Amino acid sequence: MVRAVVGRFATSLLVILGSCILVFTILYLLPGDPVDTILDPSTATPEMIANLRHQLGVDQPFHMQFLNYFGKLLQGDFGKSLLNADPVLPKIWVNLPPTLALTLAGSAISVIIGVLLGVLSAIHRNKPIDIIARLVGLFGISMPTFWSGILLLLIFSIHLGWLPAMGSNGWKTLVLPSLTLGIVGAGFIVRMVRNSMLEVINEQFIVTLRSKGLSEKVIMYRHALRNALIPAITMIGMLMGEMLAGAVVSETVFSRQGIGRLIADAIMAKDLPVVQGVVLFSAIMYVIVNLLVDISYTFIDPRVRRSV
Amino acid sequence: MKRTSRYANMLALTLSLVLVLSACSGNGGANSTNTGANAAGGGQAAEGEDLTYALATSPDSLDPHKSGLAVASRVYRGIFDNLVVKLPDNTIKPWLATEWSFSEDGKSYTFKLRKDVKFHDGTPFNAEAVKFSYDRIIDPQAVVGNAANLLAPYESSQVIDEYTIKLNLKRPSQAFLSNLTIPAVAIVSPAGVKKYGDQFGKHPVGTGPFKFVKWDENAEIKIERNPDYKWAPETTENKGAPYLDSVTFKIVPEEATRIGSVQSGQALAAETVPPQNILTLKSDPNFQLLQVNTLGLPYTLFINQKKAPWNELKARQALQYGIDVGTIVKTLYLGTYEQAWSSLTPGIFAYDKSLENGLQPDANKANQLLDELGWVKGADGFRVKDGKRLTLHYVDGTPNREKRNDIAAIIQQQLKKIGVDVKIEITKDVATVVYTNGNYDFYGNSQVNVDPNALYAFYHTAAPNQRPTLPNFSNPEVDKLLEQGAIEKDDAKREEIYKKVQQLIRDQAVIIPIYVFPYTVGAAKSVQGLKFDLVGYPLFNDVRIQK
Repeated sequence: MVRAVVGRFATSLLVILGSCILVFTILYLLPGDPVDTILDPSTATPEMIANLRHQLGVDQPFHMQFLNYFGKLLQGDFGKSLLNADPVLPKIWVNLPPTLALTLAGSAISVIIGVLLGVLSAIHRNKPIDIIARLVGLFGISMPTFWSGILLLLIFSIHLGWLPAMGSNGWKTLVLPSLTLGIVGAGFIVRMVRNSMLEVINEQFIVTLRSKGLSEKVIMYRHALRNALIPAITMIGMLMGEMLAGAVVSETVFSRQGIGRLIADAIMAKDLPVVQGVVLFSAIMYVIVNLLVDISYTFIDPRVRRSV
Repeated sequence: MKRTSRYANMLALTLSLVLVLSACSGNGGANSTNTGANAAGGGQAAEGEDLTYALATSPDSLDPHKSGLAVASRVYRGIFDNLVVKLPDNTIKPWLATEWSFSEDGKSYTFKLRKDVKFHDGTPFNAEAVKFSYDRIIDPQAVVGNAANLLAPYESSQVIDEYTIKLNLKRPSQAFLSNLTIPAVAIVSPAGVKKYGDQFGKHPVGTGPFKFVKWDENAEIKIERNPDYKWAPETTENKGAPYLDSVTFKIVPEEATRIGSVQSGQALAAETVPPQNILTLKSDPNFQLLQVNTLGLPYTLFINQKKAPWNELKARQALQYGIDVGTIVKTLYLGTYEQAWSSLTPGIFAYDKSLENGLQPDANKANQLLDELGWVKGADGFRVKDGKRLTLHYVDGTPNREKRNDIAAIIQQQLKKIGVDVKIEITKDVATVVYTNGNYDFYGNSQVNVDPNALYAFYHTAAPNQRPTLPNFSNPEVDKLLEQGAIEKDDAKREEIYKKVQQLIRDQAVIIPIYVFPYTVGAAKSVQGLKFDLVGYPLFNDVRIQK
């Protein structure tokens, strides 16, 4: 098992290196010039532009720029923002807690709503609760995050005045943004859990358990649900990626501090060191979450435990 | 049962982690607020006098010499002062300077400075600080920003005594004094710059009515009253320290949230109200709408005179007649923006009001002009000459700021009617497409400015070694007038010169002026005394919040 984990770890490092190269290349190939973010092209003189380009090192060839960047990266230097010369890594650390809080709360909401409705709708197939659950699932999947976010904001913040519309201080500001995120995830999980529950319910071992005279509750919640959860957990792992992407929208709509806003603003401004830093950081987070998801299978499914 | 409790544990763990994290970020904010309040000290606590002001975008830096963003000026305007101020009647009045004179040859200005001014860090304001600030602006090693263009033709300065300074120019300029009123050339604390170095933009130190407190990235910027302030310029009624304890700028990019935050009372004011909300806010008795037109060059479509067939006057005139600017502005901004009629905005010195309503759209005239040039309408409705279709390459920079992409789309439809095929290119890389390659027929731009000399950079023939101007326009008469306007000392004559320039630009069909950008702020009724300076930046000196 240790060997397997080490192997997974090595692959993870490769993934991070790959994303590092990919991001650098894409940003390098994109049209436009970081100098434009600093100087207004309509008023800057050619000398000013040339000077700045040299200062930033963007007048060097691609491989030199990359080696330069990568070398510093290995020393833990993520570079400085082009916009205001802020070092990138502290920027990420400052923005991380609100985003983590948001994605974790969002995931928790997804899981609670998703699993609950998924199980209920599978058990009470074609009954009203099933129809409601399926509608919730459809709604969650099909509504764009910015739309549901603004809808929640209009209802609960502007009209009812129950919750703040913006900011990232305290739990109250967390409710609407995480709900916005959670609804999307819940949509996917409801469908996933419902389908796999239905599959499991029809399997032979359930029939066997029934014939042994076990109560329906024990069969459903101890045996069927446990088997149905495996695909759902994979789903949740994948959702973490979705959550990070959704955080960009949710953080913008609700004016929260966070990694999502940080990268969205940096992309708009073509602030390359910040974009690179955040992408690299997110890649690391994503890899860690996936690692955790893989390991968590072993707790749920004995077959996986044995094979790992 | 053991299993269920394990799931319950995992859930509990996640939830507690969430709570701890949100508490962490919450505490962070609260702590820094406390430090802010303590720093204010002095028992001046008129409680709760904090103005929350929602900004549409995040400032890049609060270093006036460095930042190029209007949104940053709106924040640092309160932290820094200038030597002089410009009033709405275009006269220039004292601020940090009490009086000034200029030499006969117009190449040097001597300023007497106030003796009772201190920077927020306690260091006294004097001629050295002015010299330091202006030298910093033109030193490419110190900062790289757009302030250098505003300060041109500044060359050097001489400290005559502690409170007298002489500024030397490379050539005479009548715009120079006006430009000294722009926030980007404000006076910074030399000690502050030395202390913070390239992080000065995160720790600005000036002499203004408000002191910088903190900047939580992407969340808020807080400034608090400077209790020692007593050198406000004539643009404000309150000459002393501001009435407000503090101003908190919240960064709220999403329109609906920004306007919603004012409607729900979480912010007292919000900037850049979109047209559809302007009408709602106007009709709501709980709110007020403050609107101020920015000065300078309006949003203008420059016609590239170097590219055929638009190098011909008749072709450009056909565009003037073929584009119904009035309809565009009414449709897109629902009557909340004013249509632009000239190369300058109303309100700026020497604006030619007689151009207003002068040129009306006329499709027949447009068609006739193109017919005369030999462009014949084909079966598909587009005009053709020598086997070439009449196309117009319209370049616009994304994103759809102030609905500028929509302007392009409407113009495409309008010009189709007179047989012009408009190809719209939306690109983020304006620097290459427009400025380096000059590959455009139409490109839109606007500029905030306080002096008509701003026209020089856009309409004077570019020197051979210089980058071409946007319209690529070259007209000896306009060149001569612009050169005269730059040095003419008699205001009446100067006004005539710039009016003539505006008329020539119109007659030569160099541009299609589109709209005058209004800076709009939606605020609660309780906010009183919010004013704006000449270029549309908010002044908080007189603001009181009525309970």
